[in-house]
Amino acid sequence: MIMADMVQILVLGLALGGVYALMGSGLSLVFGVMRIVNLAHPSLVMVGAYIAYWAFRLGGVDPMITLPVALVILAATGVLLYKLVFEREARSAKYSEMTVLLTFALAMVVEGALGTAFTNTQRVTSPDYATDAFFIGSVFIPKGQLYSGIVSLTIISALALFLKYSAFGNAIRATTQNRDAAELLGVNVNLVGLVSFAIGIGLAGAAGALVSFVFSFFPAKHWEWIAILMSLVVLGGMGSILGTVLAAFILSVIAAYVGFFFGATWSTLTFFVALFVVLLVRPQGLFGEKPELA
Amino acid sequence: MPTIDTDDILEQRRAYNESLAQAADKTRAVWFPIAIMAALLALPALQFVGNYNYLIHLVLFTASYVVMASGWNVLGGFTGYISLGHNVFFAVGGYFAGMAFARLEISTIILAPVAGLVAGALGYLIGLITLRVRGPSFIISSLALVMIFRIFFENWEFVGGAAGVALKANSLPVEWAKLPYYYAFIVMAAFAVWASYRIKHSKFGLGLRAISKDEIKSESAGINTRFYKVMAFAISAFFVGMAGAVWGEYLTYIRPNIFLIILVSVNMVLMCILGGKGTIAGPVIGSVLIVAFNEFFVATLGASEINILATGLIMMLCLMFFPLGIVGTLARHRKLPRVLNWD
Repeated sequence: MIMADMVQILVLGLALGGVYALMGSGLSLVFGVMRIVNLAHPSLVMVGAYIAYWAFRLGGVDPMITLPVALVILAATGVLLYKLVFEREARSAKYSEMTVLLTFALAMVVEGALGTAFTNTQRVTSPDYATDAFFIGSVFIPKGQLYSGIVSLTIISALALFLKYSAFGNAIRATTQNRDAAELLGVNVNLVGLVSFAIGIGLAGAAGALVSFVFSFFPAKHWEWIAILMSLVVLGGMGSILGTVLAAFILSVIAAYVGFFFGATWSTLTFFVALFVVLLVRPQGLFGEKPELA
Repeated sequence: MPTIDTDDILEQRRAYNESLAQAADKTRAVWFPIAIMAALLALPALQFVGNYNYLIHLVLFTASYVVMASGWNVLGGFTGYISLGHNVFFAVGGYFAGMAFARLEISTIILAPVAGLVAGALGYLIGLITLRVRGPSFIISSLALVMIFRIFFENWEFVGGAAGVALKANSLPVEWAKLPYYYAFIVMAAFAVWASYRIKHSKFGLGLRAISKDEIKSESAGINTRFYKVMAFAISAFFVGMAGAVWGEYLTYIRPNIFLIILVSVNMVLMCILGGKGTIAGPVIGSVLIVAFNEFFVATLGASEINILATGLIMMLCLMFFPLGIVGTLARHRKLPRVLNWD
């Protein structure tokens, strides 16, 4: 039986990893291009989750259908934030530190606004599949987490294809590698920054729609997600989307095993301890090449 | 060919520096902080004519944040390492003194320096790890620290887990009950401000400020940057831990969601940024303003969510339009009033 348990935990860990991967990839994209450590990312995921929640609660709309809507709304928010806040900071001397503090403050604003509007009650959307599961032998796969994992990997693959094969995607990757050189070669780095920021925030909205039926959530919960997502991004190597996705699966599986052997309380601790260990042993993470930011 | 006597040159330079320091001293309004101190020490006399418990509480609350913000300033202001996780040391100081008070009945006011040292020692150890990275990575690591400590304190049965431990209230009549803590915080606040002045103007403080300007150059100039940074971390943890020690007994409760909430550490950061990072008067001015804001939002609007929203908004506006803070901006335009020039 112990073998079946092990497989079961692996499956659950991987299913969770899919959601974290989508949450983390937007963060990673924004960091890669803009060098912004967006601490407000999880709070924007929360906004997406609330959009999906109210659409389901009031209109009975499936979160999967709300997902593109949340993506667009959040992407538009991203454009607004970029224009209002981050564009003017680009010339700041202590840019990276400044943006961390700014996004931290933004996270508080979003949390406070959500808390004021919707109170701190725990919410979760419950479409039929959220509480259902497939069985393969004695191993069960929760449908909600499976679907969200598939959708999240589809979106990430689409993003990867866009970055790899479209002209604009190439411009984004060039800017990630070397902003000044990209600008010299005629890339409109401001536009690239704006678009990738919007995509990153949009991905937060999409992730929010998935999160809404995978986790129960309340506005203040984003602090926990911040540390979890940061551990993914740091382990994956700041700015590497592939690294973030891999890290999401690795850490979620480890966390699932830790939860099984030592109790659920300690499973989140995995992420935070991993963050420390990575910062200590290999600050640039698995795929990062940016020791100067470490 | 004339011989150059290095001792002579050094002596001349020392004399010149001293004359500069004396000239600076002459413009300093030392009477002002002393007058504030005197007024605050005499303030509880108001209790003879009426009930001013709320006023006493507000001053006490502000003073506790002066201690913490001044402590944070040693690391965040002088050294330039922004920590969003200093409430960890607030909790460590609070739990250490609170548990000693609950079990051994030793007053937390007497234990405060010890609790500060415990927090400082822990800060030294944590600093050895987290100060290996800088910039955004350091900030992230400080956030993760809060999460780790929160999980530990919530699951540590000895300190009561998430429910915490209730502490005995003192037996003084209600109008005098706050006074021991009031004086403890006022004295600690004065000590913190004085100490940060002394630190800033010591060789150590000069090293810290060099690190905040350019760490690599400071290292090559012969500063032991690692030791300096870690010491700065330990010193700032010391002050925050000291404040935490007395805070627990004052609230008659130690519980993770008193100490380990993000608002506490944000307040420290925000007070320094609003007042002016790296200045002596900045954290004090920031504490007064932020406590006033908090009271306004919580007391008038009655919702802590709005308080979080407003705190975040103030922080954003402050960062975008006054990154130097009140003292820093005024000093840059040479409009800083003499009474606020404590540097």
